[in-house]
Amino acid sequence: MKKIFKDLKQYFPFIIYSTKSKLKSEVAGSYLNSLWWVINPLCMMLIYMFVVVVVFKSKEPNFPIFVFIGLTLWDFFNRVVSSSAKLVKSNRNIINKVYIPKYILLIVNTFVMLFKFFISLAIVFIFMIIFKIHISFRILYFIPILIVLYFLTFGISLIIMHFGVYIADLHNVINIILKFVFYFSGVFYNLLLRVPSPYNKILLIFNPMATLINESRNVLINNMMPNILLILGWFIISIILNIIGFKLLKKYENSYSKVI
Amino acid sequence: MKAISVQDLEVNYYTVKEETFSKRILKRIKKKKFTALKNINFDIDKGCVVGIIGPNGSGKSTLLKTIAHIFEPDKGSINLYGNTVNLLSLGTGFDSELSGYENIFLSGMLLGFSKKTIETKLKDIIDFSELGEFIYNPVKTYSSGMYSKLAFSIMAILDADILLIDEVLSVGDIHFQEKSYNKMLELIDDKKRTVLIVSHSTTTIEELCDKVIWLDKGQIRKMGKTKDIINEYREYAIKLNTEITK
Repeated sequence: MKKIFKDLKQYFPFIIYSTKSKLKSEVAGSYLNSLWWVINPLCMMLIYMFVVVVVFKSKEPNFPIFVFIGLTLWDFFNRVVSSSAKLVKSNRNIINKVYIPKYILLIVNTFVMLFKFFISLAIVFIFMIIFKIHISFRILYFIPILIVLYFLTFGISLIIMHFGVYIADLHNVINIILKFVFYFSGVFYNLLLRVPSPYNKILLIFNPMATLINESRNVLINNMMPNILLILGWFIISIILNIIGFKLLKKYENSYSKVI
Repeated sequence: MKAISVQDLEVNYYTVKEETFSKRILKRIKKKKFTALKNINFDIDKGCVVGIIGPNGSGKSTLLKTIAHIFEPDKGSINLYGNTVNLLSLGTGFDSELSGYENIFLSGMLLGFSKKTIETKLKDIIDFSELGEFIYNPVKTYSSGMYSKLAFSIMAILDADILLIDEVLSVGDIHFQEKSYNKMLELIDDKKRTVLIVSHSTTTIEELCDKVIWLDKGQIRKMGKTKDIINEYREYAIKLNTEITK
């Protein structure tokens, strides 16, 4: 534990610099450059809005916002988890040349995705104002939900990152599982209304992404209190996942460069 | 005063043969164990320059990587007495989409420098690399010569207590080769610094090293003063060659 804090302090400047340069290098050479960070999520949302309102003629109030919130949270989780299986291999150039705690690579990856997440979130808030959604102090409950989302994503990714070094097939398996989880997280529909009873409740409790997306919508759109116990439960599970992940990495991380 | 002491070191690799899926299912996958280093014991004094020689696959690079903490030993221990260690390598963590300037920071931070230290050494690095205005262009537009000049210049600011060198490098055109070779000598000659050099060139080792370790099939075959070992190694190489021609 102490060592982790020491390492974090030591590598923090690298994490920040590497995050910045990864983001930069993604748009380097393009004409619109950093504008793409905004254009990309904005266009995605407009496309979904068109599909939802015009094609499916949804009558539910605030349905575009409802979808945007789901998408924003899902995208962050999906991007980080799906890239984690190959994370060590794609950083071969670093790992074979210098010692670095391997979770630093994952932190950089999550920070890159977090940046995109926050831009997307800012767009959601702008739409919320346009759609005249009542915003109250309950919006603050969104913060603990975000913290749980981050730790949950990080814990799962740490474990996948470790096994991804040894099992090349894991990347494909994870992508199939993610597709599966996606359809059962209610990103595009209201789980509570569309899935028959007991199953909807079961999904909302035992699928963490369904929980987090549903609670975020309750807090942001409906001005409701979140289910604090449920969120706390998933927070504890996330911490346990993180502990398992860190222990795995501590034991095996210096053998990775032998395998890749 | 000792700077490195290695005790009973053993490093293994596990390789899995690439086979078709059906074969893998039918026979269970067998991991092959390959022992890269075994029974390695030695101490190195502070300020000493030690050469490591031996044929290909004798475990020289593995030994350096283990001391650099990139590999975990399967058995035994390495004590560095709190000294900082760095393995010299070109272009650590380079991102070719970014400019040379940004890559200096990226690579430098990975090698353990603070942003401030890099800023103070920035001018020296850019001057040494002779890249001039090109430093602000993306690295992907560089010629291979420019790339290695930049990579070498970043490496040259390293000031670890223990320096691990896998082949003494000289890069670029004739003029830069001499300059980079001299810089290497400067790094090695520092009296406070402990250096381990892996090289296939016996003349380089003879020139630079106080002591030599001769590795063969992952074990120490001989260790001692440079002159004695190098002579014996040369004789051995000649003997091997004549055996092959026979």
